[in-house]
Amino acid sequence: MIRSSVFWSAVAGRTSQAVLVAVVVGVVSFCMMQALPGDAAYRIAAGRYGYDMMDAASAAIVRIELGLDQPTSVQLLNWLGSLAQLDLGKSAVTGNRVTEELSVQLGHSLLLAGAGVVVSLLIAVPIGVAAGLRPGGIVDRISLGASIVLRAVPAFALGVLLMLALAVHMKLLPVAGFQSPKHLILPALTLGLGLAAVSSRVVRDAVCDAMSAEWRMFSRTKGLSRWQTLRRHVLRNAALPVVAYVGVQLAYVIEGVVIVESIFSWPGIGHALVHAIFGRDVAMVQGTALALGLLYVLLNLLIDLSCQGIDPRRRAIA
Amino acid sequence: MSHTQILANTPQQRGLNFARLLGLSLLTGLALCAVMGPELIGIDPARQSLMHTLQSPSAAHWLGTDHLGRDMLARLLSGAQLSLSLAALSVFTAAVPGTLMGILASWRGGWTDRILTLFADAVLALPGLLLVLMLAAISPGSWWALYAGLSLTLWVEYFRYTRQRSRVILSEPSVEASRLLGFGAVHIVKRHLLPEIGPGLLTIAAFGAATAVTAVAALGFVSVGIRPPTAEWGVMMTQLLPYWREAPFLILQPVLCLVLTVLALHLSVGVRKPA
Amino acid sequence: MSQTTISVEALFVYAGTKQLLGPINFRLMAGRTLVIMGETGAGKSLLAQAILGTLPDGLRSSGVIHLNGQRIDQLSPQERSRFWGREVAILPQEPWRALDPLMQACAQVQESHRFVAGLDKQTASTATANDFSTLDLNGAERRLPGALSGGMAQRVAFAAATAASAPVLIADEPTKGLDAERRDKIISLLAQWPNQGGALVAITHEAFVARQLGGDIMVLKSGTLVENGTSEEVLTNPRASYTQQLLDAEPHSWSKQPAVKSGELLLCAKNLCIWRNNTCLLKHFTLKLHANERIAISGPSGVGKTSLLDVLAGIRSPDEGHVTRMRSVGHTGIQKLYQDPPAAFPDKVPLGKSLRDVAQLHGVEWSVVSGYLSELGIHPSLMERRPDAVSGGELQRISIARALTAKPAVLLADEPTSRLDPITQRETLAMIAGIAKERGVAVVLVTHDLDIATKWADHHYRLDSVLS
Repeated sequence: MIRSSVFWSAVAGRTSQAVLVAVVVGVVSFCMMQALPGDAAYRIAAGRYGYDMMDAASAAIVRIELGLDQPTSVQLLNWLGSLAQLDLGKSAVTGNRVTEELSVQLGHSLLLAGAGVVVSLLIAVPIGVAAGLRPGGIVDRISLGASIVLRAVPAFALGVLLMLALAVHMKLLPVAGFQSPKHLILPALTLGLGLAAVSSRVVRDAVCDAMSAEWRMFSRTKGLSRWQTLRRHVLRNAALPVVAYVGVQLAYVIEGVVIVESIFSWPGIGHALVHAIFGRDVAMVQGTALALGLLYVLLNLLIDLSCQGIDPRRRAIA
Repeated sequence: MSHTQILANTPQQRGLNFARLLGLSLLTGLALCAVMGPELIGIDPARQSLMHTLQSPSAAHWLGTDHLGRDMLARLLSGAQLSLSLAALSVFTAAVPGTLMGILASWRGGWTDRILTLFADAVLALPGLLLVLMLAAISPGSWWALYAGLSLTLWVEYFRYTRQRSRVILSEPSVEASRLLGFGAVHIVKRHLLPEIGPGLLTIAAFGAATAVTAVAALGFVSVGIRPPTAEWGVMMTQLLPYWREAPFLILQPVLCLVLTVLALHLSVGVRKPA
Repeated sequence: MSQTTISVEALFVYAGTKQLLGPINFRLMAGRTLVIMGETGAGKSLLAQAILGTLPDGLRSSGVIHLNGQRIDQLSPQERSRFWGREVAILPQEPWRALDPLMQACAQVQESHRFVAGLDKQTASTATANDFSTLDLNGAERRLPGALSGGMAQRVAFAAATAASAPVLIADEPTKGLDAERRDKIISLLAQWPNQGGALVAITHEAFVARQLGGDIMVLKSGTLVENGTSEEVLTNPRASYTQQLLDAEPHSWSKQPAVKSGELLLCAKNLCIWRNNTCLLKHFTLKLHANERIAISGPSGVGKTSLLDVLAGIRSPDEGHVTRMRSVGHTGIQKLYQDPPAAFPDKVPLGKSLRDVAQLHGVEWSVVSGYLSELGIHPSLMERRPDAVSGGELQRISIARALTAKPAVLLADEPTSRLDPITQRETLAMIAGIAKERGVAVVLVTHDLDIATKWADHHYRLDSVLS
């Protein structure tokens, strides 16, 4: 259904973004490594072989092998070279391979991100459609006010407030951790409410625009009923900006995952990233940031392809 | 960090409405508090008094004291000073180069445009907060790393907006007419570009400032930004969270400060009327 | 056979208490045509909306409307919507905006056959295919509206609107935004409608459309009836002076501008070739431009007229050949007028400020500029406004004054009047001719209207499409 040339150009665009992600993450991690106090060779040796297996000899091997006596620019290239071979090293804290740690955490983060987006759509779509069908009406005004206030509450503050209200004060839900499906509710709600604050307005505008479009009026005057017009024309046209906006919100989703996981001790990649920064575990910082960045690119690609699916104009040969 | 998208595109739809007036006055109030407050009350935000911890508001401590007996008002004001000055600085160092590079890219086109755009794409490849987090982690707890991280992340919005709008404006007949009439670059920037992009840039600045304030607090809250004992709203929230039962009003204070600041910044660009 | 299909009695449209339109009375038999003519802003489109019951919020109508013997003005909006497509069809203004941008052309026609005319899926598809071939739309079936030309979009909309063979068709400004060739095509399509037994109400600002369609005519000015009668009577022998003005404004009936003795050579273009997307738009074009001369370049859309002007102005270089400017033509000696006047001024700057900038740059006293403005009939108070707060006709005259401030030798005008109504068009072109004559300026006018080109210019270059 999707013409292959357009499909591949979307893939190519996102692939180059993925390369940029890797370069940026690699360069920043390298700077972090350089900024650490002490001898870099010892730290890398520790990163590779674990603290127990590491001694002056292995540090010396590392120094020569990685050319730590060489200029910084050469070292940077070496660093990026090993990243290109997907060699992420070992965590300085746990001693496990970074890829191993990530494979466990990734599932948790995806679960949280997915649940957050679903919650946001469950809130935003009904409210946005109701507001958009009667612009200026009571639903529109109330949801605008709620959106303005909610938008001003940062994700972590929202998380704290929800936690205090629902878990601590009313004892309805578990505060933090990852034992039962109930534990997912608070983090997902925190993420979803933050997303819905903006996306409900996007849904509203999309519905409003579609309902007042000239093509919608013509569909009615040529004889289609209100329902036929809605089903055959309005829905698809209104869905397009909404799906595209979910793409815009992906940045917020990834940021939210980092913050929300930290608040609720959710054992995902974001939580691990914050921990790694706190513990100055450069290999883990690089690994988790890379994973989050690539996840961001991948989700963006999915949104691109969904937009192509909805919008036949994008499938036309340019 | 994605809130600007829907509002920045519609500067013409905002009027000097009630919301905007409210936002601007709130913002002025907050700025005055941040600038003059610490001087006026004259209490050291770091002075501990372990005899007077977790106190309710009183004449001596208008907003009570925290778990180490430090004056909450002094700490909140000092936090406001930190957040607002950091936000203002990073917005400034992002806006000026970002806008200039945007104009340059759209004006010159070709390789200049390609290189600057690649640079911007590299910053945009990662979600904003993630980049700030990593840049700040190069030198944990330091003020300048946070500042550099924020500026480096925020300039892209100005660049992209300016470049995109300028490309459209520069290809309009009105610019061609001005060139045929003999006008140079200065005239075109002054009369054609700035009046068109100015309002949009202000919107981006307000949202950028809100992003900066939020990011500083978020990083402080998860213990990877500004470090204790500095009085910073996010740090204060982390520290007061365990005392929720004994003194619920304490943790709500920094939350409220944060929300009010972000709200003021959002409202200051105006709200689209629901019509 | 001669049965009244639509009648309107004492129809008024109000915004609050302000009367925008009325009183309107007419009665139309099957097989007859009614043309409603008037300038932009005369309230013509409100009439179509009042008949359908689709007036925008805040407007209301009064009066008695009968459709096929049934009184409809008192029905609820829901009940009135049942007549749409079945009893009364409407061809909207600028139909390319009335088609769903995400749906293929044939599907938009097919759904009318299926859901409005009530055919089954198979028959609806056959009927659609039939429509596409009779309307000369072969090959456009699977295209999206964005990939259709203006004329094609209009025929698709026509097929979609008339699928259920409603006895009454209302066409709102059917020629708006189309060039001469496509205009003729849609008019001949509409002219067939009464022959097939339908009643046609056409709303237009062009006397030319009325002449082609025949039937009865009503002339409106600011919402009130000026004159009505059969098309033949009104168009050949108008009683109202306003009608006369409208007729005189038609390029067809202009008197030829007297030729002027040309002066020194200003610009010389030799063997120009212009390419776009590997197609040669223009081959070996040669032009010599003298002071006082009026030259017209005409041709259909997409033929490279604008590119040619850009080459003459020195904004773009030709792919072959060269343009020589004589010494007497200085750095700013070539000025341009644009098709869309508001786009030719910076939008956020008051007009006076824009003009003062130009005067200052060229060392011209402001009194000289205000002299130009008053000559062109521009009130000084307009100088405080922004471009979007001034009418297109006024703005085009202000841009003439702006160009004159730079003391040009050559004025290049790119369809400067195609967005103006006919009366303003005529006045504006007369002013430009006056400037050529009195100030020794050479004018090159690009137009798609052959009548304008032949009546207005000394020399006429006709570019033909290389594609067809």
